[in-house]
Amino acid sequence: MIEVKNLYFKYDEKFILKNINIEIKEGSFTAIIGANGSGKTTLAKHFNALLLPTKGDVIVDGLNTKKYEINARKKVGFVFQNFEDQMVHSIVEEDIAFGLENLELENNEIIDIVEKTLNKLKIKNIEKDNVNMISSGQKQLVALAGVLAMKPKYIVFDEPTTMLDINNKKNIMSIMKKLNKKDKITVILITNILSDLKYADNVILIKKGTVIFDGKKSMLNKKILKEAGLNA
Amino acid sequence: MLKKLSFGQYTYKNSIIHSLDSRLKIIYVLMTSILIFLIDDFLKTAIFSFFIVIVVLLSKIEIKNLIKSLRPFFFIFIFIFLMYLIFSRNKLEQGIFTLWRFLMLITMSLILTFTTTISNMVIAIEKLIKPLKILKIKPRNIAVMISITIRFIPAMFLNLERLKEAMLARLVNFKKFKHIKLIMLTLLDRMFKSASNLSNAMQSRLYNENAESHKILKLGKYDYLSVAFISIFIFVLVVY
Repeated sequence: MIEVKNLYFKYDEKFILKNINIEIKEGSFTAIIGANGSGKTTLAKHFNALLLPTKGDVIVDGLNTKKYEINARKKVGFVFQNFEDQMVHSIVEEDIAFGLENLELENNEIIDIVEKTLNKLKIKNIEKDNVNMISSGQKQLVALAGVLAMKPKYIVFDEPTTMLDINNKKNIMSIMKKLNKKDKITVILITNILSDLKYADNVILIKKGTVIFDGKKSMLNKKILKEAGLNA
Repeated sequence: MLKKLSFGQYTYKNSIIHSLDSRLKIIYVLMTSILIFLIDDFLKTAIFSFFIVIVVLLSKIEIKNLIKSLRPFFFIFIFIFLMYLIFSRNKLEQGIFTLWRFLMLITMSLILTFTTTISNMVIAIEKLIKPLKILKIKPRNIAVMISITIRFIPAMFLNLERLKEAMLARLVNFKKFKHIKLIMLTLLDRMFKSASNLSNAMQSRLYNENAESHKILKLGKYDYLSVAFISIFIFVLVVY
């Protein structure tokens, strides 16, 4: 479980996040929604210790990110919004192996995991391709493969559908659903598109750095969404 | 456009030179580059030239591609030749000799880039500089730096192209300095943002400077044969 307790985050003398108290349960599909600039990504970056709280705590499976930065990061994978900037190596399979090399796994194990991940995401056909030459949808999948290969317990998807066409959107959404339902990975989806909430169980609504709704998707109503600056 | 901007000229061919270990190929290029400048007589230069012809034939590189890659250097060669011709005509023979050595040097490097993938070269560099760990230099950092450069330079040019088009659509005149400055600053801003995103992503994927590439480079039959061949070649040129 990811617990966020009394979280405040200050940047440039301004509080971006104020008194956040939420819990993300294991195995859930949680969507964090809010208008642009509401602090969604800033909050998500606290989950894998890319950002540390100015005040308060973020605890991942009992590990406080302030103290156990690396261990928390091992548990929480992050697929960035600008997935093009997420890739370090030019060749698809080498980029997927990057995180595994950092974990200092055995060579054979790395080759095996890369192979399985490529097959899982159905991108085996582009394993030797240059990441600059593949389509946006494929780049998104390679970015996800790089994260998935590291076998995280939680995966944050930061606005994964904004740069994709309708077919790729559908594909990434169904992959997220499968990862959650079949592989029991906790999915945390950051979005401002209401149609992306299709597979979410829980929703956390953020407005100007504070949580204004935290509950089951079915409890969401037009009034709350409007208050958050989102059109229902 | 990205195809044009991509690094390297590697083309797959089923050749002995292609199959050689990339570490060995880098070492051979370094060694023969030094050797080129150590030989000083006509016979040895002729032997060396013959050696390069053999390697080119073994590598199955298309001659027209090789010449195409050498073409940008021809202007420099002509310039140097003209300088010798105008200012030191008495040393013209030495000038031709120097130009020929440069040509051999460039051809050797081209054979390396034509027969080795960029990623194999990066891995080879990472493995070769491993002893520098004693000096607290991390091979992983250097290898990742090269990889990132290779990965992002084409992306930078693509960004520049997109910016140029967007600005032209808004009637920007690139003959004006302020507009050139504008495009450069915008590009720089984008590149810094990309660098910041990449840094976050690397941190997120637990970047570890003590880690190594998972690719294993193993010496094969042809590698051992090449070591023997190169050793004899160097021995003949240096001793005799």
